[in-house]
Amino acid sequence: MLRLIVARLIGAVPTLFLIVAAAFFLLRLAPGGPFDAERALDPDVAQNLRRIYRLDRPLAEQFWLYLVSLIEGDFGPSLHWRDFSVNELFAKALPVSAALGAEALLAALLIGVALGLAGAGRETGLGARLVDGAAFFGVVLPAFVVAPLLQLGFGLTLHVLPVGGWEGGAWRNQILPVFTLALPQIAIVARLMQEGLRDALALPHIRTLRAFGLPAWHIQAHALRAAVLPALSYLGLAAANVLTGSVVVETIFGIPGMGRYFVDGALGRDYTLVMGTVVIVAALVVFFNLMVDIGYAWLDPRVRDE
Amino acid sequence: MNRAEPPIKPAPSRLFLSLRAAGTRSVRASLALLVLVSLLCLFGPLASPHPYDRVYRDYVLVAPSLAPHPSATEIDQAIEEIAKRMNVAIESRFRNGGVFSATLVAVQPIDLRALRAFERSDVFSRPRVVGREDAGRRLLIETPIKSAVFLFGTDANGRDLLTRVLVAGRVSLSVGLLASFVALVIGVTYGAIAGYAGGRTDALMMRLVEIVYALPFIFLLIVLVMVFGRHFALIFLAIGAVEWLDMARIVRGQTLSIKRRDYVAAAEALGATAPAILWRHVVPNAAGPIIAYLTLLVPRVILLESFVSFLGLGVQEPLTSWGVLIADGARNIQSAVHLLIFPAIFLGATLGALQNLGNGWRAAFGLPSH
Repeated sequence: MLRLIVARLIGAVPTLFLIVAAAFFLLRLAPGGPFDAERALDPDVAQNLRRIYRLDRPLAEQFWLYLVSLIEGDFGPSLHWRDFSVNELFAKALPVSAALGAEALLAALLIGVALGLAGAGRETGLGARLVDGAAFFGVVLPAFVVAPLLQLGFGLTLHVLPVGGWEGGAWRNQILPVFTLALPQIAIVARLMQEGLRDALALPHIRTLRAFGLPAWHIQAHALRAAVLPALSYLGLAAANVLTGSVVVETIFGIPGMGRYFVDGALGRDYTLVMGTVVIVAALVVFFNLMVDIGYAWLDPRVRDE
Repeated sequence: MNRAEPPIKPAPSRLFLSLRAAGTRSVRASLALLVLVSLLCLFGPLASPHPYDRVYRDYVLVAPSLAPHPSATEIDQAIEEIAKRMNVAIESRFRNGGVFSATLVAVQPIDLRALRAFERSDVFSRPRVVGREDAGRRLLIETPIKSAVFLFGTDANGRDLLTRVLVAGRVSLSVGLLASFVALVIGVTYGAIAGYAGGRTDALMMRLVEIVYALPFIFLLIVLVMVFGRHFALIFLAIGAVEWLDMARIVRGQTLSIKRRDYVAAAEALGATAPAILWRHVVPNAAGPIIAYLTLLVPRVILLESFVSFLGLGVQEPLTSWGVLIADGARNIQSAVHLLIFPAIFLGATLGALQNLGNGWRAAFGLPSH
């Protein structure tokens, strides 16, 4: 098991390096710069700014400098919010986004797995219908439609939940964003769980248990181990999707998280801020995929012994 | 050596058989819905009396309705505004069907050129002076009332929402098709080369796909949109450039099994070059699954475009897409729900129909639904 973890961690290094390199050079190809304003800056001022931020050095040297500071854990100064470093911005934004994402992922897992288990029965049963319905609405109603509708329903009409804002993470402010973020993942997890359990119930060792005359719940409990594998392997992708979704959710609900910084940074050509977000997101995705691999190995001995 | 050959089902002719096989009611309904939406978006703006970027200043945030505008209160508002601009008072006003007449009074003789204010309004047309009294201090005018219907209402700038939703549909659908085409070309080329080359090349190329697969697409996409600029024609390039991975995997898998067929061996024996074999034999025989996955790709791409446009990184004003309109609706949710509802219905219906169609198609090919 330890060998697997170490191997995966080492394997992640070139992946991360490629991502950082691709994002770095792509960003510099983009037209426009961080100091473009309505009125052009005085050439001397612009020159000085570029020198201070080391943007006048050759691109390869800039990349090397960035890599070195990255390894030291320094994301550099923000080019847009010039009084802050990217680290300072992230120190405030990351906990917010992390709370939002973790809760959404947890909700998606709990509700999705429960729904999927309920839907593994007859094709025409209530559970299966619910899974079908969730899958349909997961496709037809994207987050940026669900979110305003929820704001309208619970905030403006019923006046039970706040329309937006974070308020330091008050639970009332969290309900709508978390639900919006979790909804599409619920649909997918439920479908995977449903199909996983159906497939697992058809496996030979489950048939044997049934032949022994074990009670239904006991058989289901045995089948569960094989049934969660597809849903588990989706978890890495789910984490990436939640990160993606949080960009929209944070924008709509006015939540001061990473997603908003990313969009603002991209619009303002804030190279360091966008790079920092890409690095964090890539690291998170790599981390989640590692967790998935470990979980897989733990549940499936065939993978563990490989 | 008793390994079973993986079955190679799809051949071009099966494609049309499968269409018939997939002709369940829900698939047919989805197809009909899609055709309807496409035709509406294509020809609707031509038939609409309102250009998509025409601003009606007198009709801002009008609610959707079948009744023609202006209403009585809208006429009152319009004439009072005109009177204010002309610096005159309204002594009497009267509406007779499509004609509006009013008596304007002022301290100074009224300059007739000031009547242009009527022409600039969206409610009245060029006025006719019927009578002048008091050396031009009292003016009796008559003007036809312009009638307009806003089926879906108007937006915060006073533009007809129906026309805008249909124009947006053109953009969203064409980005969907074009970006899918870009993804198709990249994915099929990449996958076919990897599968046909095999060995170390294949392993390396697929390893790269896996790495890119681990990336959160949106972040890459937004960086690409920044690079390409926010031009409409380039958005689908950026989207296509991040969405080819699934296609590459599928085509590679198909190629692996097709290249072991006798007809490929025969072509090789006859001295056909690798590109020729890929083009003449491999790709056509993989057409079934390629098209099946294409139906899954199109809704994903449309959703991506909406997502990017929603964030303000996509199509720019006055051109619009469903994502832009939904973003607009989300901003105005307190004052006008229709701005969100109508584009959301069009987007949702299109996505649902495409998804349904794709599922039916994949079921007909016996492919997994994920």
